[in-house]
Amino acid sequence: MLETAAVLVPGLPLLAALWIALGWATGRNRGEAGERVTARAALVGTGSALAVLLILDLAALWEGPAGQVVAGEWLAAGGYRVHLSFTLDPLALSAATLTALLCLLTLHFAIGYMHREAGFQRFFGLLSLFTAAMLLLVTSGNAVLTFAGWELAGLCSYLLIGYAYDRPMATGNAVRALVANRIGEAGFLLSIALAFQWTGGVEWPGVLSAATGFETLAAGVLGGGLLLAATAKSAQVPFAPWLGRALEGPTPSSALFYGAVMVHAGVYLVIRIEPIIVEVPALGVFLAVTGALTALYGFLGGLLQADVKSGLAFSVTAQVGLMFLACGLGWFELAGWHMGAHAAWRAYQFLSAPGYLHLVSRPARPVPAWLARRRGLYTATLRRFWLDPIADWLLVEPVRALASETQAFDARVVSRVIGLPSEVGAPASLAEWEAQGEGRAVGADLGEARGAAGRLMAWLARTLGWLEDRLVMQRGGAGAGAVLRRVGEYLLHIDDLFSQPRYLFLIIVVSLVVVLS
Amino acid sequence: MTEGRLEDGDDVRETVRAAIAHLSHGLPAQAPIRDFVHHNTLHGFQALPFPEAVDAARRLTGAAAYLADDHFRDLLRAGRVRRADLAAVVDEASELDPDAEVAECAGGPLRRREVYLAALMHPLRPVTGCQLTWLSEELAAFEAVQPDVDPPTRERLLATARARGLASEREAVADLWAGCLARLGLAHFILHPEDLLDLDPEQAQAMLARTVGDLPGTPGASRVQRRLGAESDKVLDELIGRVGVDLTLRGLLLALTGEDILEPVRPALLRQLANHLDHGVAAWHSPDRGRGFYVAWREAARADLVWLFTDLPNWHDLLDALPDDPVETVVVLLKRMGLPVARWAGYLERLALEIPGWSGMVLWHHLHPGAAGPSGPVDMTDYLAVRLVLERALGRRLCARLWQVDSQLDLIRWHLRHHRAELYVRHALFNARLPEYLTRLAQRLVDRGAEDPASPEDWQRLAHLVWTWRQSPSADRGEGYTLHRSAWPLFRLAQHLGLDGDEVRALPTPALRAIFDCLERLTPAQAGYLWLQAYERPYRDALLGALAGNRARASARGGTPPTAQVLFCMDDREEGYRRHLEEANPSIETFGTAGFFGLPMYWRGLDDTGLTPLCPVGVTPAHQVHEVAGAEAAATLLAHRSRRGWRVRLQDLLHQESRRGLIASAALIALAAPAALALLAAKVFVPAAAGRWMRVLRTRVDLEVPTRATVTAVAPAVPASPEHPRLGYTDDEQADRVEGLLRAIGLIRFAPLVVIVGHGSSSQNNPHRAAYDCGACSGRHGGPNARAFAAMANRAEVRALLRGRGVVIPEDTWFLAAEHDTCAESIAWMDLDLLPRALAEPFARLRADLTAASRGSAHERCRRLASAPRDARPEQALRHVAGRALDFSQTRPELGHANNAAAVIGRRTLTRGVFFDRRVFLISYDPTLDPEGEVLEAILLAATPVGAGINLEYYFSTVSNEHYGSGSKVTHNLAGLFGVMDGASGDLRTGLPRQMIEVHEPMRLQVVVEARTDLLGRIHARQPVLRELIGNAWVHLVAMDPESGALSLFRPGIGFVAWAPEDRAPTTVARSADWYAGETGPLPPALLAGSGGYHA
Repeated sequence: MLETAAVLVPGLPLLAALWIALGWATGRNRGEAGERVTARAALVGTGSALAVLLILDLAALWEGPAGQVVAGEWLAAGGYRVHLSFTLDPLALSAATLTALLCLLTLHFAIGYMHREAGFQRFFGLLSLFTAAMLLLVTSGNAVLTFAGWELAGLCSYLLIGYAYDRPMATGNAVRALVANRIGEAGFLLSIALAFQWTGGVEWPGVLSAATGFETLAAGVLGGGLLLAATAKSAQVPFAPWLGRALEGPTPSSALFYGAVMVHAGVYLVIRIEPIIVEVPALGVFLAVTGALTALYGFLGGLLQADVKSGLAFSVTAQVGLMFLACGLGWFELAGWHMGAHAAWRAYQFLSAPGYLHLVSRPARPVPAWLARRRGLYTATLRRFWLDPIADWLLVEPVRALASETQAFDARVVSRVIGLPSEVGAPASLAEWEAQGEGRAVGADLGEARGAAGRLMAWLARTLGWLEDRLVMQRGGAGAGAVLRRVGEYLLHIDDLFSQPRYLFLIIVVSLVVVLS
Repeated sequence: MTEGRLEDGDDVRETVRAAIAHLSHGLPAQAPIRDFVHHNTLHGFQALPFPEAVDAARRLTGAAAYLADDHFRDLLRAGRVRRADLAAVVDEASELDPDAEVAECAGGPLRRREVYLAALMHPLRPVTGCQLTWLSEELAAFEAVQPDVDPPTRERLLATARARGLASEREAVADLWAGCLARLGLAHFILHPEDLLDLDPEQAQAMLARTVGDLPGTPGASRVQRRLGAESDKVLDELIGRVGVDLTLRGLLLALTGEDILEPVRPALLRQLANHLDHGVAAWHSPDRGRGFYVAWREAARADLVWLFTDLPNWHDLLDALPDDPVETVVVLLKRMGLPVARWAGYLERLALEIPGWSGMVLWHHLHPGAAGPSGPVDMTDYLAVRLVLERALGRRLCARLWQVDSQLDLIRWHLRHHRAELYVRHALFNARLPEYLTRLAQRLVDRGAEDPASPEDWQRLAHLVWTWRQSPSADRGEGYTLHRSAWPLFRLAQHLGLDGDEVRALPTPALRAIFDCLERLTPAQAGYLWLQAYERPYRDALLGALAGNRARASARGGTPPTAQVLFCMDDREEGYRRHLEEANPSIETFGTAGFFGLPMYWRGLDDTGLTPLCPVGVTPAHQVHEVAGAEAAATLLAHRSRRGWRVRLQDLLHQESRRGLIASAALIALAAPAALALLAAKVFVPAAAGRWMRVLRTRVDLEVPTRATVTAVAPAVPASPEHPRLGYTDDEQADRVEGLLRAIGLIRFAPLVVIVGHGSSSQNNPHRAAYDCGACSGRHGGPNARAFAAMANRAEVRALLRGRGVVIPEDTWFLAAEHDTCAESIAWMDLDLLPRALAEPFARLRADLTAASRGSAHERCRRLASAPRDARPEQALRHVAGRALDFSQTRPELGHANNAAAVIGRRTLTRGVFFDRRVFLISYDPTLDPEGEVLEAILLAATPVGAGINLEYYFSTVSNEHYGSGSKVTHNLAGLFGVMDGASGDLRTGLPRQMIEVHEPMRLQVVVEARTDLLGRIHARQPVLRELIGNAWVHLVAMDPESGALSLFRPGIGFVAWAPEDRAPTTVARSADWYAGETGPLPPALLAGSGGYHA
């Protein structure tokens, strides 16, 4: 009974999202006329999930929390099993209830707010999907399901930052947020793999109890991957800048993702893996340091943001940093309460942000004089501590260079080797025709070609003629020498490339992967 | 750069200063959003005639000036635009020469008019090669008559063809196409661009012969090479010549490299700018804020490490060499760039227009140094200097990386002159349409990194390919007639004119030339203006028809003296309210006037800390009026002050401190969260109830204090001046104001109750709130003016003075003040406790009538609101609109002035009993009391700019919401409490959001004045403001003769011409509700039979 009911919690909003998507695909809920049915589907999905949760809450109060329930098997491959399991402990139930409530409120808010928007259906579909993802994330009983929710939430976030996809600023920032989260997700995946490898399963209770038995390093690596994911998702330093860029979407989605719900997912994960962190002091220290740095980053940044949404986003970052700090210091309970209160308050504050002008009666209290004088700190804060340019310099630029070199390699080597037409050989410009007109006319000796086969033959003949011309005939038989000289140049070039740090780095990574596997 | 002392001193400085003074023409002039006041978006162009002005603005900003042609065509199909009107406006456009004969055809002479009409009604756009291929291969355009040809014409065309022996439609159309081609001397030629990759010899020879045939072949450089060189030189000269005209250095580099040098620094720049301009969101500002933006930016830039990561090695040298004076910096950098002084002004304008919203906000602060807001000075020169420094640093980086030259125009030109092929390819890639195969190749060359640069041969080869493509027919480049730009439009035109193949073949050369001349003259700007005029006419005719019809009716009606008189703002929204009030009780007489009621004043409410001007923008009050508590309420006032102080402080604490601090914020959030969650749930699920609870709670906490407005001067001897506004008015001043207004509106016989109703709008979560308030009170609530006016008019001293001047207010007449909330449709009364007991009963009746009017008005508004209940009862409708005002998720609390379209200045008898759909500004004026037109002149001077400002802001925000409006509210982000921007690093968005204009019909205001044409002509001639607005056709002027009722249209340059009434009489219905029932769109005026109990 409980098992089935737990499936409904993420399942109902997911159904609503699918229903909206289906309606869109079949054209039944499009346009202004479709708004009502769309909004109703989303409200019913999330509202009924909330109802199920309340029943589960009552049951938990009555009979005590159900703990781990398994509703079935999701994936099975060889020895790897992933169950459709849920952890219904007080943490999960309270977080899920609050999440569902805030999502429901935001959905209801959006009915009026998003009225007549071209993206109305898209918005409600994505918000329902996001609700499902977050509910899955908080209630799931194993790491793989959590990860599924984690990913889906990230995807929704990406799509809603890019809600106004005709504005390059919005789409660019969406990509940035997505990529920053990818790094964290690599950590999550690593931990899932290690959990399979070392504990034989991914059920949270199993993983957590097994991990406490590990030696510190193993538990540290396992927990470290998850913490990396948490750090990225909750926009902690050094990932923090993505949150400041994520405010391009409609106000309700910003409120839900970056004020109230998703930004807390990292904190939730940290609280979920409390046993590992308690086991490995280094993780606690990492959390505390990250949290403290982030709190400082958010606090200072928040002081000089002059637009309301950025101001709120920095404040959110600072508060979430405090939660990380609390976890690092071992105050998980406190962090949990802080998270709940913060989520509720920010939902309210973000949704009221458009009217900020009329909510406050006087300017913000100025900073104390000693801080106001700090020119260097002001610039650093204004520049968001250069986290973005540093990331560009360390990661983005090298990757881009790598990509462009790979492309050059493709075009020059691979395409030629496998014979794709990369450059046109036939005379295609009038200049060439003119030159030919003055000298000798290529093609005249090939006769006239008719039909597809004929044309193909003509082309082949021309290409072969060209090849012969360039490679053998040129400069009285010196063509082969030229080819060799060019090959030498290529090799030198390649040598040159490999001495660049990015290739060095790449080689080290590849070697590591080989060694580890 | 230290040599940058200015030898030529003041001259260049003056140039820069003049350039900055000129910037207000092109930049948005919107004030900080708290003081949103409607104004003509193109105010800077107002000295030009409307069509020229909008076209000049389009050239400057790229913004559309009219609805899209296709939109108009939809309206034509829907019947909203009439064909006859289109023909009429073409006939009126004498510059188009519509009567000139083009050719003698079988069906009679073909005149230019028909060509224009066909081109307007059916797009005759040129097509590209690919489009023609598609039209031919996928849409079979050469086998069937075009689908948009109207059936009779189609039949005629086919019949003519049948007569010639072309039996099938297919043959007829093919013959027509052949005829078009033959007449133009073209050959049918459909080519896929990729075919050019494999030139066939004949084609190549033909192309060669056509393009370089005239050049003698010289040894060394080929003819193609020389032709290409000449073309790229031309491109280069043109590009460099555009710098300072419509390009900046950034624009030039964007056109050459596709790279936007501003993009990587824009977020940080805007962040710092927002921090500098901030009105109170940020707690931390630059330590150098007081020294201006330029210095603050430079100090921050010195400490910036970003150059370390972004390949800007000379960053510090550049900063250190900058002069301290921003003007000098501007001068030095422009000189450095090598820009001739003559183009500096243009360059700075372009620079500012690259981020128009922010530039406009800086300029506004620059031009209003005394305004509340940022604590430091704001100077446009500072901002432009920073922009130039950034452009210099980043431009230099890009030029060095790509071409190893400095970012000076001469050096760029020198380099590219030696790399013509590269220039040619780059220009083609980023500024022209290239077929995909060339785009790919070009992009690949451009993308080559610094370690693997493209060789000159690579560029050369590609340049030849591009050039070759351009010579091919599919590039459609040649002079003379071409397939895509001539044959296709002619082919379509012929079908719409019903010309068959032979007729086209027989067109004489002058006729052909005339046809293409017509198509050329019909530029998008010209076409847009014709469409607009045709679009305005049906409404104008219906409006004038209704006025004429109503006048005939009104003169036949007798009446009884009014039981009450209610004076409203001229606002178009009050039209609906007044009509419903008169329908509820026909014995009520209503008036309209600008909503500050002739009382320009500084107001200080009981809880205000500063003074608020309540008068139209541009007027500076010389008086203050304060709201004060009576002596008997001293104790309540003290309690109120303290309790309200606490509440506001708590509110600020919650909203400001919960985001400003760290640990303290955490504690605050923890405390506030449960209440916030409950409040959020209430506000989301039961907004109306929650709003009412909050209001009750607030009153309970704050305590209500009985107050009075101090209208009478305590020290009358002190002179009142705009510099030193005096508190209160002297008795004489009061009598002047009261008399002035009463005479202006023609109120000289008084009912026992006279109510002055100001208005404002309440809504939640709405940064644009001021845009819904009273425009005549600078975007504020007009209640205080009403209150002050009523207080004056009730004073015995004032009445005594008035009696001496011939205005006799009876003893038992009482003036009341109220404020109408146009969103919630509620009426708030002021100073009710002073109402004489004898009037209690009439007042109760009036109050009930007003409630009925509120219900009616709410009901009428609901028809336009998609989310309002359909078929609601009036009570439900009133509850709905009251709920909207309290709903913080509502982006359309009300529709504001959407659909405003006309103004009527005249007696209410003209307009009473007509349904105007809340689209008409109603200004009461009695021409019989004003033989010399002095009153009228004052009314026109005050009301025309206000009405035109509202109307034109709606117009421009509607026709180009992207440029002139502010896009959708849903992604808006409030910046610095002064504006909204998209997301967290976009441009500031000015104008109206999409939610406010989506139902608006963008037309210019029709100002109908009940006055003699000679009087109006004289007033128009002597008032520059009116000459500008009316003479330049920003608004239309219509005169209605007070004696005869004849209507005359004012046509700029011509004068008044008589309006010819339509045959159709206006519809008559019993009541407003009968006319709008079930309708959701805009409605034409209708006469109401119901409000018949009329007084003379």
